[in-house]
Amino acid sequence: MVTLNSYLLVAAVLFVCGVVCMATKRNGIGILMGVELVLNGANINLIAFSKFGTLGIDGQVVAMFVIVLAAAEAAVALAIALNFYNNHLTIDVDQASELKG
Amino acid sequence: MEFFLFAVYAIAACGGALAVVLTQNVVRMAFWLVVSLGAVSGLFFMMGADFVGGTQLLIYVGGTVVLLIFGVMLTASGPYVSIENSPAEMLQAGLVGLAFLSLVASTVLAVQWDDNFEKLSDRGHVANSGYNPEETGNTSRSLGTALLGMRFDKDLSTVHQQVGEEHVNHVHADHTHATAELSTGYLLPFEIVSVHLLVVLIGASYLARAKRHVPVIEG
Amino acid sequence: MSPENYIQIGTTLKWLLTTAWLLPLVGFMIEILGGYWSDRTSKTPAYIAVGCIGAGFLLSLVALFTWVDAADMNAWSAFTGSESQAVAHAEPADHYAGEEHVHADDHAHSEGGHAEAGHGHDANAHVEHHDQPNNPLATAFSGTYYKLGSFGTLLVSLDYYIDGLTVLMFAMVTLIATCIHIFAIGYMSDELTTHYEDHQVHTSDGKHFHRNGRFYRFFAFLSLFCFSMLGLVLAGNIFQVFIFWELVGVCSYLLIGFYVERKSASTAANKAFIMNRLGDFGFLIGLMILWTWFGTFQFANTEPGTNAQPGLFQMIRTAEGDLETVGEGMDKVALIQGRGSNKALVVEGDKLVQQQIPYWLLIAAGLGVFAGCIGKSAQFPLQTWLPDAMEGPTPVSALVHSATMVAAGVYLVGRFYPMFTPEVLLIIAYTGCITLFIGATIAVVVTDIKQVLAYSTISQLGYMMLALGVGGWMAGLFHLITHALFKSLMFLCSGSVIHGCHHEQEMTKMGGLYKKMPITCWTMFIGVVAISGLAIPLLTLPGFGALSFSGYHSKDAIVASALTFTSLNPVHGLLFFVPLITAGITAFYMFRMWFMTFFGKPKDLHVYDHAHESPSVMTAPLFVLAFFAAFCAIGGEGGPLAKLILSTEPAHVAVGFSESASLSFPSHHQIHANHATAGAVALLVALTGTLLAYLFYGRQVVDPGKVKSQFLPIHQFLKEKWTFDELYDAMWVRPVHVVSSWAVAFDKNVLDWFLHYLARLTVGIATMDRRFDELVVDRIVNVFGEVTFSAGKSLRAVQTGQLRQYIMFIAVGVVSLFVMLFVFLPR
Repeated sequence: MVTLNSYLLVAAVLFVCGVVCMATKRNGIGILMGVELVLNGANINLIAFSKFGTLGIDGQVVAMFVIVLAAAEAAVALAIALNFYNNHLTIDVDQASELKG
Repeated sequence: MEFFLFAVYAIAACGGALAVVLTQNVVRMAFWLVVSLGAVSGLFFMMGADFVGGTQLLIYVGGTVVLLIFGVMLTASGPYVSIENSPAEMLQAGLVGLAFLSLVASTVLAVQWDDNFEKLSDRGHVANSGYNPEETGNTSRSLGTALLGMRFDKDLSTVHQQVGEEHVNHVHADHTHATAELSTGYLLPFEIVSVHLLVVLIGASYLARAKRHVPVIEG
Repeated sequence: MSPENYIQIGTTLKWLLTTAWLLPLVGFMIEILGGYWSDRTSKTPAYIAVGCIGAGFLLSLVALFTWVDAADMNAWSAFTGSESQAVAHAEPADHYAGEEHVHADDHAHSEGGHAEAGHGHDANAHVEHHDQPNNPLATAFSGTYYKLGSFGTLLVSLDYYIDGLTVLMFAMVTLIATCIHIFAIGYMSDELTTHYEDHQVHTSDGKHFHRNGRFYRFFAFLSLFCFSMLGLVLAGNIFQVFIFWELVGVCSYLLIGFYVERKSASTAANKAFIMNRLGDFGFLIGLMILWTWFGTFQFANTEPGTNAQPGLFQMIRTAEGDLETVGEGMDKVALIQGRGSNKALVVEGDKLVQQQIPYWLLIAAGLGVFAGCIGKSAQFPLQTWLPDAMEGPTPVSALVHSATMVAAGVYLVGRFYPMFTPEVLLIIAYTGCITLFIGATIAVVVTDIKQVLAYSTISQLGYMMLALGVGGWMAGLFHLITHALFKSLMFLCSGSVIHGCHHEQEMTKMGGLYKKMPITCWTMFIGVVAISGLAIPLLTLPGFGALSFSGYHSKDAIVASALTFTSLNPVHGLLFFVPLITAGITAFYMFRMWFMTFFGKPKDLHVYDHAHESPSVMTAPLFVLAFFAAFCAIGGEGGPLAKLILSTEPAHVAVGFSESASLSFPSHHQIHANHATAGAVALLVALTGTLLAYLFYGRQVVDPGKVKSQFLPIHQFLKEKWTFDELYDAMWVRPVHVVSSWAVAFDKNVLDWFLHYLARLTVGIATMDRRFDELVVDRIVNVFGEVTFSAGKSLRAVQTGQLRQYIMFIAVGVVSLFVMLFVFLPR
């Protein structure tokens, strides 16, 4: 029997993979992918609680919003990445250390 | 059968995600991401969220990942396709990730979900406003009405529940309460999101437009 | 006079006199503004000033005749029985009798023409007239120019009050002012320069002081003075009088200090101003009392057919002129009358009672107003400013300090007569008595020609006050007019002498000048005879009274009033004998001055050789004034001038009135009975004085020097002006100095010490405070700053700028947070 815990564990793995991806990838696009993974992990949680918890249809609606906003975020982030590439002639985020204290 | 499907999807999702982390080549990362996200949509279907699963496939796999791949094509030319990390970094990140994962997993496992529904629920009993097995695979209607500001599911289920289970201590059929429940839809957030998307569209195209100060070789 | 007629005549008079009043103000504006930028050698300012005041004189003359005509006075006639009847009929409640009155007066007027000559000393003709209560309010025209402000029922406004006294004063002031303006064109001609050399002022390097000529300024000030003086006379309420009272004071101040560079002149100006302030202080107190108890400043409201707020005179006196009093001692109160049939009632408790004023407050108000008159008219004890005021140019002395401004005090006493209680009148009489004696005695010994005239002025003003005080209202104001004319004449003559002798004023350096300046000599003789009160005894012309100049008639009237008063109240004998003796002294010092100046051997040949007669612009006014000085009082008490004054006399004077058994005031009838006696005695005394003067200074039978050495202490005492200046110095100035030195010592030793101590204390506290600031507050603030800075510096390392590290930090942070929660949070 597939329980709530199994879905939550899958979501946890996806979430942690996303975080590690963001923390390790030097490629800007890679970081974006990490973000997508994190968001997907969160989405699995939402749907799982929608099915097994008390969220009901609300969980699915919020998941919908997350998906839509993730798409929007991806578009903007990609534009930022392009700008970054245009300015630095590279996609390596380690090169962007202007905010160093 | 259900467990088998779940195992396939779960392994595909987790494995894809792990592969995304471990792969250094950005194009392969994109591929593994597609695998992972597709598996997640399968999980959605399994949980009866058919519309969300479909949206996941269409927008994520069909839209966002394609967008990312376009980004890769535009930026990761030549040496930048794969940028190597030092093993120390990977080790450090792996340790932190493992610690994080163990933290989250232990938290998930520490909670006895099934026994605590009464505590977790806002009404003090098992919510039957949730997923209803009889309506499996038919969420698009309730989703659509919810986005338009109507909550048939909640409303109907509440009435139904009151008729059926009279032993529960709140028997008062408060009609005003029911109508208040009816109107807790997502029309306003839906509108905001739509405007948000428009803004993002314009903003992204503005940000991504060609800059003149970058020397462009004329062909 | 019907009400329509009344309003018509009142309007005519109002505009005539208002124009005459405002013309000099216009002149002043033009002169003071235009003169500053225009040519210093131009005589235009003088012509403007003369034009303004001359036009004013003509307007005043028209007003005078209009009034005389309207009042049906029959000035040139003896009063007939029919007219007396008519006046008597007119008395009842309504003062504006109807048709009957008019017809009766017309009748009397037509008869008056041929009765002209029959007056003289015909006692019977007087009896009937004098015992009729006069009704001055019937021929007075009052009104309001402009309401300055109203406070509930209280009203302050610019009013006018025109009666016989007003038009007469207007005519007198403008006439004298015109003459003096013309005279001043000649007298002040040495100011027509851009380089005036003042011989009496020395600069620090010993040279004479040089400055621009101030011809225009002199005439501007004269014009301003004329405006103020006429305003004073025209004023319809006592507060307005006070305003112009102060304005003439300012003009006097400006004109006395005309040669401002001379120390003596500026000091004299200050002295005059300050002495006047003393009197005006009392004036103000009187005004406050009146305002508080009567609620109005207006003299009287004579407009027919209205029941408007009655004036002061109507409130304090009944229609018959009686002052109604109730009670005794301090509880005595005077009842306040309403106008016509209206009673002035106030609610007291639950019943209506007639409004009243405590009697002693009424006395205080009268004394207060009289205090102002004392200051302005240089009466004892404030008389010392007037001789010093002779520092001003001679035309100023003639106009301001003899004829008009100083007479304003007498005028006000006369104008305000209904408000004075018998007690106040007695004080007025004694003040005048003391003053006239002091002034006359000092005038005997002074040798400065203007000083003689100044003391003579003080003395004569004392006569006027005395006359008013003993109930001789008409006599006092009669003397005011005649004195103004002959005293201004004499001042102008002295001015002519001074001008001719190149600003030499000491009579001891003159002598024998009659050959050099005959016109001045003989016009002055007219003035001297007039003031001395000489007449040719027993020679009377039909209708003109005794053959004599104006002064005889007026002084005669005063002495007669005083004699009658003394005979009624034997306790106050001094009030008759002092003025009688002083009449002799007056004649003596006046002829002494005349003889010393014009006759005998020249004492200073330098002065004599350079002396010359004045130009015609200066001698012409002398002729005019001499004519008036001689003939203005023609007919004596039956003459037009006296009748004009009599017609304005307050109602209660003519019948006599008494306060108690010990103090009663004579009626016209009683005075008239003593007239012949008084005249004869006064004439005798005056002739004695004249004879003595002739023997001393004319023939020099007796050597004045020997007499002087014989009475050296007295002479010294008089020469020092009764030591009033020294007395005041000892009484007021030196005590003030002593008290001030105490105050200085207190300031220096106590207050300063205290302040210095406080200051030092404050500095000490401030020093400690600074140390606290530096050592504690600043250090704390610095520590905060340093800690913040070093913390920021050490935290800087965290900001690596590496995106991935930030994410790592977040992850590590979350993990460690949870770990900490697990470890430390109690289960």
